[in-house]
Amino acid sequence: MSYDDPHHPSPWGPHDWKHGSPHNSWAPFILSMGVAIFLFTLAGAFKWGEFQGWGKVPLIFVGLGVVGFGLLIWWRQDISFGVNGEVFEPKAAGAPFQNIDIRKVAMWVFLMSEMMVFTSLFSTYMRYRFGIASCQTVFESGEWVEGAAVICFEPASHLIASSWFHIAPGAINTFALIISSFTIVQALRYAKMRDIDEDVRRRKITRYLGTTWFLAILFLTMKMIEWFLGFPLPEFLHEFNHGDSTINSLYTEGYLINADHYQHHEYDTHYLESNGHGLDHDSDLYAMMEAGTHPGGHMMANIQVSATTFYVTTGTHGAHVFGGIIGLSYMTLKAARGGYTPDNAVSIEYFGLYWHFVDLVWVLVFPFFYLY
Amino acid sequence: MAHYKIMGQDPYWMNFYGLMILTLMEILAVGTDLGPAANSLGTEEKVLTLWILTIIAIPKFIMIAAIFMHLYGDEDSGILTMTALFPAFFILIMVLFVGLTHPNAASGLPDWCRPGNYGL
Repeated sequence: MSYDDPHHPSPWGPHDWKHGSPHNSWAPFILSMGVAIFLFTLAGAFKWGEFQGWGKVPLIFVGLGVVGFGLLIWWRQDISFGVNGEVFEPKAAGAPFQNIDIRKVAMWVFLMSEMMVFTSLFSTYMRYRFGIASCQTVFESGEWVEGAAVICFEPASHLIASSWFHIAPGAINTFALIISSFTIVQALRYAKMRDIDEDVRRRKITRYLGTTWFLAILFLTMKMIEWFLGFPLPEFLHEFNHGDSTINSLYTEGYLINADHYQHHEYDTHYLESNGHGLDHDSDLYAMMEAGTHPGGHMMANIQVSATTFYVTTGTHGAHVFGGIIGLSYMTLKAARGGYTPDNAVSIEYFGLYWHFVDLVWVLVFPFFYLY
Repeated sequence: MAHYKIMGQDPYWMNFYGLMILTLMEILAVGTDLGPAANSLGTEEKVLTLWILTIIAIPKFIMIAAIFMHLYGDEDSGILTMTALFPAFFILIMVLFVGLTHPNAASGLPDWCRPGNYGL
């Protein structure tokens, strides 16, 4: 077999699309290897959230480099798709996808694998959420002593859903993703319109893709505020925040994957007494304190499992948003140069499928990780 | 693209409005004191909130998949919906057999199903 044969082109690309879609490529193998090197070395560079030195950092970049090389090969093969202004959208020939665009089928198969990734994260969360006693339950049971950490599940929602201010970044993100799902559909709609002035189409697509890009950036910015930065409140709002002038980030609150000495004021009997909330009179802890068999105090918790499930799941979702930003950056620039026509609008449709999937995942992440 | 209308209107705009309203309802469900309602139903407020959030998430999920992702109304919607549902079996296994088992299940299992004790 020769690579000059158009029916069996080079696995390094580019392909001759006139002879059908390419089905020989090294790109997936190289990409997989790169991702594996990147993830293994990244995981090895940290232990319990602590940086383990610069030893593995070069390998992290090697992994990224291999990923980039794989993408380059993929790009080189796919870029031949639009050479000389020709557009080829190969159709599947075999059952059950006859006459459906191959790339569309491929995107759905990719999304199926993505569903499995997020299902594993969700099932992990469910297992620990239902299997480990919540910190509230442990606190009220009285089965703890001050100064010794107990292992319990502290849902992030305990901090995030504690006030309208704390929930604001997550709520803004929810609306941002839904609006962005709508804007990408609008971009596709205008890209597919034939009875429209070319310049109007270019401006509309650029505007809608640009808005989607902006909303994705807003999403990650809000996430950064929620995780690391927090935000100050104007003075007239202090009274609605227990007199505090700032909304603390999860980092400042000590909600970390290596938190083995986590403390929350609601698990402090002195705080509860002094702030008038008091302990639940039906709780075992209250009965024990009344009987003098428990001295009370401030419970200390090891919340590594709960924080890890939260950060890994929401972080994986955030990584998908970041990937979307990279794609959107390219697509917005391409749209601004008038790169989209009704003939190649399917690229927006396929990216849109990915972006809607990211929104779908958030539809489940937001209530179960942020609100419950 | 969609070749149908919802209540005589553009399906994407209608879907967008619907999603915004449902999301607002989610946030209100969390911000509202559901304690009395939960007590009258004989359950905890958190459990009631979870039920409400789950019930709202289902139509949101379907609306995005069906209308924005074109799993409804296109020529290839049927087969692509089947494709999207293909992992459902594995998802069920993960959720039921992994998500809902106890973390100590491995050590709490009967002898006959532990490694090295297969009754052979």
